Amino acid sequence: MVKPRTFGYFFLSAGTSLVRNSLMTLASIGTVAVALVVLGVFILLGANIGAMTAQVERQVELTAHLADISSEQRRRLETELKAIPGVTDVTFVSREEAWQKLLEWYGDNRDFLAGWEDDNPLREAFTIRADSAFRMTEIAQAVGQLRGVEEVVYGREIVAQLLSITRAMRIVGFGLMAGLVLAAIFIIVNTIRMAVFARRREIGIMRYVGATAWFVRWPFIIEGLVIGLTGAVVASSVLAWGYYFAVRSLAAAIPFWPVVAPWPMLQTLALVLLGLGALIGVVGSGMSVRRYLDV
Amino acid sequence: MSKANGTAWGSERKENMLELRKVTKVYPNGPIALNDVTLTVSQGEFVFIVGQSGAGKTTLTRLLLREEKPTQGQIIFNGRDITKIKAREVPYLRRSIGVVFQDFRLMPNWTVAENVAFAMVVVEASPRLIQRRVGKVLELVGLAHKAKQLPGNLSGGEQQRVSLARAIANQPAFVIADEPTGNLDPETAWGIVKLLLEINAAGTTMLMVTHAKQIVDSLRKRVVALEEGSVVRDEERGVYHG
Repeated sequence: MVKPRTFGYFFLSAGTSLVRNSLMTLASIGTVAVALVVLGVFILLGANIGAMTAQVERQVELTAHLADISSEQRRRLETELKAIPGVTDVTFVSREEAWQKLLEWYGDNRDFLAGWEDDNPLREAFTIRADSAFRMTEIAQAVGQLRGVEEVVYGREIVAQLLSITRAMRIVGFGLMAGLVLAAIFIIVNTIRMAVFARRREIGIMRYVGATAWFVRWPFIIEGLVIGLTGAVVASSVLAWGYYFAVRSLAAAIPFWPVVAPWPMLQTLALVLLGLGALIGVVGSGMSVRRYLDV
Repeated sequence: MSKANGTAWGSERKENMLELRKVTKVYPNGPIALNDVTLTVSQGEFVFIVGQSGAGKTTLTRLLLREEKPTQGQIIFNGRDITKIKAREVPYLRRSIGVVFQDFRLMPNWTVAENVAFAMVVVEASPRLIQRRVGKVLELVGLAHKAKQLPGNLSGGEQQRVSLARAIANQPAFVIADEPTGNLDPETAWGIVKLLLEINAAGTTMLMVTHAKQIVDSLRKRVVALEEGSVVRDEERGVYHG
């Protein structure tokens, strides 16, 4: 095993080489940073799209129209409804409230409803919300079997369509993300490989004087780590600044747009990018050196 | 000379430093580079390997450094068959062999002292030992005053002396000089050869691959001549042409 003292040499050697080949170092850091920024933008977009679809899914609701039941039966029914798995919110809508909603709905055309006001034809109802639109059908069935419920109404087709859209978006988003991660790795590994290629003579000399493979590898791995981490720090800073800026402008332009709060998402993103940068730097340089080790 | 560190390679002392037994090397789609070569080199010997380009001299060097394995045969170095050692043992083999190449192979942006010290950093010698030994070998090759220079500022002969200093920094028992004078004018070449003789006189076994007829003829050391991959001549006190 390598002596601790030798690690001092590795760090010194990596540092010296990073400074001596400063142009290559900057180019590599720049490449890592750009690749990670592009990836980060997609991660941020993905997180927002995800949050948006989740919110839309949560807004899907179900209406249970009630038979003519006593208020005591109604209270029992409400408890039963709340006990159904996946139900997050149960709101009672009285006949009067339903009528008011209907009036609002018709707006200027409410004359159409004239003559009905003294003989409200609407039934009492519960509006039920679920934690996920995926469970709507299941919940609707459960609700329909409860005593006192006359009819269950919900946008079955709308829910199905919504679900297929959000599912597609998730798959596409994941595919894009995976593709970008691969592209970023490819670009970064190539850059490191070029840097290593430029120093293949050096590696050859190391081998001739009897350096072990790990001895040759370590300084390069440290260099890769420094380049990866520095690139990730640059990328995270750019993304954080950009996201704060975007959120602020968006909030001013479209007040109710549901953006994901910058904190703690940006922290998580920075950690992910740092980890990825370090990993790519280390693995990339380790792999690149290997090609020149057989002399 | 004693070893800088007690690896398995240096600790064993055999009278035969190197022994090639029926070594054959055939490259894919190529001619036979070495054909059934049997050769013994004793400890402390000075041996010239001569022959035209393509005679197999370079292949021989590559096999000794375990850059390649022979197609057939055994190469016993310091009592071990180096054709059978594992890849991770190869660095330790190379530490016990000093090598000098025709093209010097120095790190261009390292100083002379750093280039020499590197061979010792690799074997994880202590900084104090490195400092002491680097000063000593640079003095031996007459370049102590240029320790802080970059190789680019040195003449060819001086660069080769740096390379030689690096080769002996770890005090190997065996030195391979692969056409060490190939890029040098005759006068400078003699300076290098004198150094090789000095190192040999101190007990290091020396294998010098060369084209330099004049040097071989005037020294009258052992000469092994290769021709089309075979040993055609092996003479004590030999000359370049039989």
